Amino acid sequence: MVDASLLTNPVYFLQNLVDGLARGAVYAVFALGFTLIFGVLDIVNLAHAATYMWCAFAGWVVMAVLNMPLVVGLLAAMLFGGLIAVILEFIAFRPLRQEGAERLAPMISSIGVSIIMVSLAEAQFSSQTKKFPSEVLDPKPLYLGGTDGVRVSWAQLLIVVVSIVLMVALGYLIRRTRTGKAIRAVAYSQRAARLLGINVNRVVVVTFFIGGVLAGAAGILVGLLTNNINPNIGADIELRGLAVVILGGLGNIEGAVVGGLCLGLVETFSIAYFDRGSDYKDAIAFLILFLILLIRPNGLFGRQEANRA
Amino acid sequence: MSTKAKIGRYVRYILYGILFISVGGYGIYFVQHPNINDLNRFLINAILGLSIFITLNTGLLSLANAGFMALGAYTSAILVAKMGLPLFLSLPLAMLLCGLLGLLIGLPVLRLTDVYLAISTLGFGEVVRVLIVTTPDLTGGATGANLSTGFPFEKMRQTETWMLVLFLLVLIYLFYWLDRSKTGRALRAIRQNSSAAANMGINVVYYRNLAFVMSAAIAGGAGVFYAHQVGSLENGDFRFSRAVDILSYGVLGGTTHWFGPILGAGLLTVLPIFLREVVGTSLDVIRNFAQLPLIINGVALLLVVIFLPGGLFAPSRFKRTPPAINEAELKDLEPPIVAVDSNPPPGESGEPPPLLELREVTQVFGGITAVDNISFKIPPGIICGLIGPNGSGKTTLINLITGIYRPVKGRIFLRGQDITGQKSYIIARMGIARTFQNIRLFNDMTVLENVIVGHHARIKTNLLTTWLRLPRERQEEQLARRQALSLLKRLGLLSFAYQPASKLSYGDQRRVEIARALALNPALLLLDEPAAGMNEVESALLAEFILALKRQGYTVLVIEHHIDLIMQVSNEIIVLNFGKKIAQDVPVGVQQNPQVVEAYFGQE
Repeated sequence: MVDASLLTNPVYFLQNLVDGLARGAVYAVFALGFTLIFGVLDIVNLAHAATYMWCAFAGWVVMAVLNMPLVVGLLAAMLFGGLIAVILEFIAFRPLRQEGAERLAPMISSIGVSIIMVSLAEAQFSSQTKKFPSEVLDPKPLYLGGTDGVRVSWAQLLIVVVSIVLMVALGYLIRRTRTGKAIRAVAYSQRAARLLGINVNRVVVVTFFIGGVLAGAAGILVGLLTNNINPNIGADIELRGLAVVILGGLGNIEGAVVGGLCLGLVETFSIAYFDRGSDYKDAIAFLILFLILLIRPNGLFGRQEANRA
Repeated sequence: MSTKAKIGRYVRYILYGILFISVGGYGIYFVQHPNINDLNRFLINAILGLSIFITLNTGLLSLANAGFMALGAYTSAILVAKMGLPLFLSLPLAMLLCGLLGLLIGLPVLRLTDVYLAISTLGFGEVVRVLIVTTPDLTGGATGANLSTGFPFEKMRQTETWMLVLFLLVLIYLFYWLDRSKTGRALRAIRQNSSAAANMGINVVYYRNLAFVMSAAIAGGAGVFYAHQVGSLENGDFRFSRAVDILSYGVLGGTTHWFGPILGAGLLTVLPIFLREVVGTSLDVIRNFAQLPLIINGVALLLVVIFLPGGLFAPSRFKRTPPAINEAELKDLEPPIVAVDSNPPPGESGEPPPLLELREVTQVFGGITAVDNISFKIPPGIICGLIGPNGSGKTTLINLITGIYRPVKGRIFLRGQDITGQKSYIIARMGIARTFQNIRLFNDMTVLENVIVGHHARIKTNLLTTWLRLPRERQEEQLARRQALSLLKRLGLLSFAYQPASKLSYGDQRRVEIARALALNPALLLLDEPAAGMNEVESALLAEFILALKRQGYTVLVIEHHIDLIMQVSNEIIVLNFGKKIAQDVPVGVQQNPQVVEAYFGQE
């Protein structure tokens, strides 16, 4: 199964560590949006991946068609994600937020929106792949320790920097600001928050905006990393995002970060060290997800007890 | 009528309009270009629709059915084309395999909150596809199961329309009777309120698994026919979009009646063909807009979920003219009373054990001790009041006794038997029934059906008696119905028997909850604020009724804010404050207890 010469090669190991961390950072950013919206609203937003896909296209349009610089493309993609998520809140989720609505209804409506979004993307961009021009990001990688050393692409570097900035910013926002306090209050109990004079609908909109921004960031970063944007990229990350969220515990922000990095590393290393790893890589997320549900349904870092049936 | 319901009506008109136009238009086209494949495809989709219906009807969202369909399809393809088994033998084998796998997935996941099923089934379809791609010797791998990988075409095209019709008819028969049985009632109860169902003695996890396994097996069966309809298989046939299609049949068509998903399958099968073959031939815009059917599907899904929650075909479950009730027939049917055990096993000191005993029970929520080291005993045959200011832990205590929470510390005994941390449905069957502070009736059921749900554990029928129409099935159902009616009579609710539970007044709904709880034939009845929302007269009647229950041998623990009521009915009162028991005494004693006075009125 395992090639012995690879096992003893430290550069190969470090290379995969770098690749895995970059991949995992994107999973983490994507999963953060998922878990935030679940944590606050108890909703699994299955249109999160479609938002992510549209943001990758938005970033591509800004950078490749309008020839804007990287920073503008990044910000545009994130802003676009926030906007889409807010629109989703208004058309797909708010109408269902009332007494007596079935618990699973928001999930179904998000599937409906997701179908519409993916179909529109297919109609607009056709199914073929879009690529970034080389001016956007230098395709030549950096070498650590000479040309035989570890390769780090500019996209990977960008991912790590942007992810860290976003995670820190999110942590600060949730823990240290008034808005964060309101979000936590709504997450604890919408009714109690309302009684305390918090405008719950406003807080929910803000939460969706933040979730969308995170989806947008993940979308454009993956687009830059793989240089492959098509209407189906959302399907690739959706299950991974959910696996990460379950791994870290539904609604748990720190858990999503650690879970994302774990999944990125496990995937990268299994491709690197196992013969047919790439054939099985799509199943890894599911296996992790299923194992966690089997042994620790609250996630690795979960504190609350998952509601029993 | 609310705005939502009004819009919902228009959504229904529009969808029916689209359905009739596309079916009609396609029908005309079909007469000129008959294509049996389209018909077969519709029938297969209708079967898939029924496969998702059984989960939706139980309140479960499953996205695994594309995976089970793939599994069934490949299993049958291998058995028939490679191993030479006849098609009709491969069908039960494939269904069995899918059912078993469904159990394997369902067992760990279905004991968790409902979102977990949706999430894990989302991944299941992907895993099946990975499995297919990575086993080329068996399945043809990424190339697909076709002639080049050892699946001869003539052996792979055996699906006939009559087989599909037969299979569908059998399913309809099974679903029709299922809906009218104890099992069907339990599934609907779980969908409407799973915790109330559990407290009625329904094993929620078992029934969820049952529904999921049935769903898996039916999807597998559809896959078998699909394989032999198409003649070759590709893993791409079973992508996530297929799972969404299947879900849409159910959600759009309807999730409360078996005909709904068949209608949904019809709409979503015919619409794309109609747009492509009929409209598309004259309108280039439509022909070139390949995503149009999908977009319509998405929009419809969104509109239906928001404005038409039951789906397109959702006939009312309530009859306009309810059947006449023969009151004479109910006379000799006073339900059996569990009186106090006349020969209770003696305890250590020779005393009979208390009916209920709590020993140092503690419950903590996020650092707040909601129930703090509470111990008490309730002897059989008394009415015990449980009072205390808001937030003093009364409802938490009831939730601990009925197994909704497991205490972090302490033990709970029923008739000397340890029930700490036992599952709700078992506690209910052991003899503890309850009502809820915030009413939890099954709103889509009649008052009578609500009470019959309370009989669940005592109705000794199963799927076999249901589907074989054994005489026992009818006898048991009728007995339960008559007992439920006589219970309703005792509570003066007989005239509401065939009305939707949700249409009753607040006070009446509370009495229906009591009737439902009594249907369990409990030794101990827990009433959580039974008089809330009742007027003076109703509340006085309730007091009479509670006293009557005591005379009949029931033991009652009642939480109430109407102090008059509590003082009137209770033999003994337990007072809680900040999660602690501050008093347990006869009513007069409690009234004079300075600690109680302080808890209610503050220090002087």
